[in-house]
Amino acid sequence: MHLESCIPLNLNRPIFMKNILLAITAAFMLFLALPAQGAGPVRIGFINSITGKEAQIGENLTNGAAMAVDDLKAKRVQVIMVQEDDGGDPKTALAAYEKLVTRDGVIGVVGPYTSASANVVASRADQYQVPLLVPAAAKEEITMKGYKNVFRLNAPADVYSKVLLSTVAPYRPKTIAYVYAATDFGVSTVRTAQVNAAAMGLREVANEKYQQGQPDYRATLAKVKAVRPDLVFLVSYDADAILLMRQAREIGLTPKAFLGAGAGYTTAQFAQQKDISPLVISATQWTDDVNWPGAADFAVRYKARFGKEPTYHAACAYEAVRIMTMSALNARDSRALCAALKAGSWNGIMGPVRFTSYGGFTNQNNHPMLVQQLQGGKYETVYPAQFSRKKLVYPYKR
Amino acid sequence: MLFFQSLISGILTGGVYALAAMGMSLVFGVMNISNFAHGELMMLGMYLAYYLFILFNIDPFIALLIIMPLTFGFGYAVEKTMIGRVIDHPSENQILLTVGFGLIMSNTALLAFTSDPKILTTSYSSSSISLPGDISVSIPMLLSFIITCALTAALYLFLAKTKTGMALRATSQNREAAQLMGIDVSRMSSIAFGTGTLLAASAGAMIAQTYYIDPFAGHTFLLKSFTICVLGGLGSVIGAAVGGIVIGLVEAMSSAYLSTDWKDVVVFVLFLAILLLRPRGLFGRKGEQ
Repeated sequence: MHLESCIPLNLNRPIFMKNILLAITAAFMLFLALPAQGAGPVRIGFINSITGKEAQIGENLTNGAAMAVDDLKAKRVQVIMVQEDDGGDPKTALAAYEKLVTRDGVIGVVGPYTSASANVVASRADQYQVPLLVPAAAKEEITMKGYKNVFRLNAPADVYSKVLLSTVAPYRPKTIAYVYAATDFGVSTVRTAQVNAAAMGLREVANEKYQQGQPDYRATLAKVKAVRPDLVFLVSYDADAILLMRQAREIGLTPKAFLGAGAGYTTAQFAQQKDISPLVISATQWTDDVNWPGAADFAVRYKARFGKEPTYHAACAYEAVRIMTMSALNARDSRALCAALKAGSWNGIMGPVRFTSYGGFTNQNNHPMLVQQLQGGKYETVYPAQFSRKKLVYPYKR
Repeated sequence: MLFFQSLISGILTGGVYALAAMGMSLVFGVMNISNFAHGELMMLGMYLAYYLFILFNIDPFIALLIIMPLTFGFGYAVEKTMIGRVIDHPSENQILLTVGFGLIMSNTALLAFTSDPKILTTSYSSSSISLPGDISVSIPMLLSFIITCALTAALYLFLAKTKTGMALRATSQNREAAQLMGIDVSRMSSIAFGTGTLLAASAGAMIAQTYYIDPFAGHTFLLKSFTICVLGGLGSVIGAAVGGIVIGLVEAMSSAYLSTDWKDVVVFVLFLAILLLRPRGLFGRKGEQ
């Protein structure tokens, strides 16, 4: 076909030229609008339990991540955070990760929240070679398999029991009972607690694993009461913690200390239960009274924005999103991001952060955990000494 | 001490299970519908009790006087507008409708109240009565059990002694025959669903004091209610009452003498054993298996 046959013969030349110019301008604008390789906004993924059993804690992570994005944008850092809900289900978490890295084209992923989900997603991160930064899941295994693309900000499960038992060690308790949720985190934490307790010479007198969400734990607690333990080591999420402590009070279970290793003992809602929460000791990744840069300010801003106290989950998510974005700024691809995470160090609201290999862990931040006790209706840091302002009250009394 | 403590805890918790299951059993008996939104109806009762307490300082047990008529009306309206339309349709349609309705309810609650669990704390929420032998009885659970017994007796009298109750039983026995006898079976279905909603919401309001309230809190009780209904005999209100106590007791005893982690296994082994020996359940009528 000849070219002439495609051009109309009776051209209205000024209009034709105008249209051509418009088309060129539009094409040029479109070209400008397309993100240049490595020059557009940083695109990261965020997997969290927005619905499901862990939704309450998940909400804290969502809030923390949202605050991080806003703070970054306020500093003119262009970031797009693509959120995915795993409902606390490992299968959904894995599907979410695959969607983020294959379809959404994110450079790195923060999350998921639960240990079970994070453990499954971590196993695929090396296959896709897109870095995964775990903000708050504690199962040790996640960073113990030598995955190159998996990083963890928070302290693993063994530290929970280590710091809790170290806090009460000077008082020489003799026996310990375990009551814990049948979750990856619960089982993992108690397994390490058993090792730490045995090293301290503590004798195990009860070991009760329970399914979450049950309305009645009285028979279990009566069984624990019958063996009169010095320490009751609890791992519970959300409202289970309140239920257990309420029913413990009902049946008159009074050990020398309640040690709460799960998130349920660190929430503002738990602290509000004035007749059951006083003097309960709990391990946490973060408090607002430590001297880490911006921690106190983060708590004030969080409370003003969301109308409640931030939990450590919110702080972990905030810092994880911040670290992932800042590292991705100068990284052209996921491989470069992985190298940046490996080489970098940060000092923010979670204290000094560096991903190193130690004690069988790979790319693990050696985060110092804190122990707090509810005194006068307020969480007070009581361990380690350099961060504590109040002394531990021991033994427990109603 | 452990035995008696577990016995008391099991009976008291079983009482609430029984109340929840009786509502489901009544609906199944009269309408031949498995209500998969039953857990959400319990959740409705929980939130009503919570907000009546928080906003108007009405004790959850006194709030039942408001919750019961409200939820009866709600159930009646739901049956008239939705459930009643599929009563003569295949069971798949009924299941999809009730599952869908439950999802709408729980997700609406999620939007309205967020996923934060609410804790209803009254002055006596953690109180207990001490009995000889170091046994304690939870005051809210004891009050719940007493009210459950009163509601069960009232339901029994309603079904046995009133004209509407007899019409409900007739509809439950043979819907077509009841219609031929001049009973308004459509109205009976609405009353049954309203009463079932009332019972589920009452159970929710009572357990709210010792449990936590969130949009998915009813799910725990849905499976339990189904198990209890099948165990007691589908459609048998008395069977549901007995089944509830049995499940509560088995859970408590297996927690005390085996392991807390094993209590669901024990419950379902017992459930299967009863179904093998008596396929129609403990109180089911012949030909209903």
